[in-house]
Amino acid sequence: MPEIIEPIESFSLSRKQHEKKLFSKIGVVGCGRDGQNIVGLTASAGLEVVFVEISEEKIQTALNNISKNLETKVENWGLTVSEKRSIMSRITGTLNYNDLKDCDFVIECIRYDDETGERNILLRKEVFKQMEDILAPDAVIATNATTVIISELASDLVHKDRCISLHFLVTQPEARIIEIVKGLYTSDEVFEKMKLFCKLIKHDYISVHESNGLVSLRIFVTMLNEACQMLMENIASLEDIDKLLQVGYGYRLGVFRSADILGIEKMVPLMHNMFDEYGDKKYKPSPLLLRLFRAKHFGLSTRKGFYLYDEDGKLLGPAPLV
Amino acid sequence: MNILVLNCGSSSVKYKLFNMEEKKVMAQGGVEKVGLKGSFLKLTLEDGQKVVLEGEILEHQTAIEYILGVLTSEKYGCIKSLEEINAVGHRVVHGGEKFNSSVLITEDVLHKIEECIEIAPLHNPPNLSGINAITELIPGVPQVAVFDTAFHQTMPDYAYMYGIPYSLYQKYAIRRYGFHGTSHRYVSHRVCEILGIPYESPRMITCHIGNGGSITAIKDGKSVDTSMGFTPVEGLLMGTRSGDVDAGVVSFIMDKEMIGSAGISTLLNKHSGVMGVSGVSSDMRELSAAIEKGNERAKLALRMYNYRIKKYIGSYMAALGGVDILVFTGGVGENNTVVRSEVCKDLEFMGIELDEEKNAQTRGEEAVISSENAKVKIVVVPTDEEFMIASDTMEQLQK
Repeated sequence: MPEIIEPIESFSLSRKQHEKKLFSKIGVVGCGRDGQNIVGLTASAGLEVVFVEISEEKIQTALNNISKNLETKVENWGLTVSEKRSIMSRITGTLNYNDLKDCDFVIECIRYDDETGERNILLRKEVFKQMEDILAPDAVIATNATTVIISELASDLVHKDRCISLHFLVTQPEARIIEIVKGLYTSDEVFEKMKLFCKLIKHDYISVHESNGLVSLRIFVTMLNEACQMLMENIASLEDIDKLLQVGYGYRLGVFRSADILGIEKMVPLMHNMFDEYGDKKYKPSPLLLRLFRAKHFGLSTRKGFYLYDEDGKLLGPAPLV
Repeated sequence: MNILVLNCGSSSVKYKLFNMEEKKVMAQGGVEKVGLKGSFLKLTLEDGQKVVLEGEILEHQTAIEYILGVLTSEKYGCIKSLEEINAVGHRVVHGGEKFNSSVLITEDVLHKIEECIEIAPLHNPPNLSGINAITELIPGVPQVAVFDTAFHQTMPDYAYMYGIPYSLYQKYAIRRYGFHGTSHRYVSHRVCEILGIPYESPRMITCHIGNGGSITAIKDGKSVDTSMGFTPVEGLLMGTRSGDVDAGVVSFIMDKEMIGSAGISTLLNKHSGVMGVSGVSSDMRELSAAIEKGNERAKLALRMYNYRIKKYIGSYMAALGGVDILVFTGGVGENNTVVRSEVCKDLEFMGIELDEEKNAQTRGEEAVISSENAKVKIVVVPTDEEFMIASDTMEQLQK
């Protein structure tokens, strides 16, 4: 006897409107490192994810990296092989923005420009406008940003109140916390939805007002500057400074390792930004950071930053800085 | 009297509606993937027709709302209004040391179940959401909590304590609790009914073996020892759980593999057992198929599985000073003739003698499968935890 399959909505006791589905499908625009992280997390939480990239090749690279990440989790006993398979089956890559159509939440994570270390504001505005054309009016549009941007991105849209920013901390997998950033237009309802989203993907959150560097990076860059200063004064070695932070303050990676992971190419422009905005020279990138930046020693991504890394990203030792 | 039985898991809600006068199941089914993508409610109609209702079900409350909606619907329902549900019985996993029997749910009981969350963080919260949902949806209906751990509360202290500092027991209530209590209680009662003997008289060993598994020693109608402990990881080798492991191995693995408490917990609960050893599957049928193809590790896993059960039976015979009845239940215990045969092999010296022919014929039904003159009665009893919960609920109401 074949099974009868029907929609469940009409059986609701309270006849409440259950047809409004929340987070039935999530969209991600741009699937570089941040995008891959978000795609992996949401698919792991059981949500369907579709991501947009600009070439078949980039789609494949992204899928390979996500799969590799999950494989690491299997190897570390955090996931079973069949769980991994079902997570991968929830992920789709596409070249076509129209495939985002029935998403109720899209997050923009387009890549940082290799030259400037910043994300092209015009391009992002373009992406936001395209999304507005495709998505339902109540779908949430978010960006993954650490700068003052969400109000500006929202300003050209018709439904401005649905724009919000989420900042995922990516330095280590246990950093399961998100900065939810409200812009000038963001509605409370959208903020509440994002809280639910964080809960679904098993992340904690903090609420932050739109500002340069938010909490996470504003604290981080000042610490990084101070650590660079100490290094230049030859007060302690790079490894010892990290060791003190690790052992003494329980800062798992230390400040230099974190900078390598975050990417010096992203830190330097961000610090310039913060210096412009806040006017305090504690945000101005240290000459040491600038030297690494100009030499394109960006950290983990180039296998050379404060430390050296092999092709699997394994730490080899401190880089000769002077 | 109509009693609804609910079993709320972390992402599922199973239900059965009983008519107690006629001892009849009026409706049954379950919601799966609660809070996940692709959730659905699956039910079996009286004529065996299966119906799947698909849609977004984000919370247990919504799941139960749909279940009640289906029960009272014209299309697939069997009652006209919710008033026809006279009581609701809930499976609650952990009752800690606070509950040794089923109880009518009151404010005070709710509070105590909440206190048990600390030792059962995965299981008790969904059970509680189920209770709260019913309170909201059918206000005033009496609800009863039936605990998995309650039956084993009769274990003596020397059986339930671990050999670790006593202060940890005082601080965190770390001790052996045991699980599957409702099932062990049901089959032990039922087997006495079948054999027509009073419940308090025989020494019994009940083997609930399936994907998860535990064995219980029963004397004077009381559980005196059981193989699961503080968590369901202890004891038998299971589908994906390791069962007994040298605690030294645990810290050694954590060190070598550089994993934390969450990692080691997943390793022991999801990557181990029959699945982890064989590398094939946690499912006994797939394991058997692999053995037929000559897979050595699959063979090893099955041998370990059987050996562990045999070892526990032996040790519980020592604890009981002999045994009169051996019961097999659970998915594997009810259906797998090979496992039963292997477990009982060479135990004739203790009076355990299987009638191989009867054993081979028995699948999923009540039957005595020991040989005619054997000292120990070996009996297959399919478990029915839901019915046990329903009858406990009725009993509480009649008090």
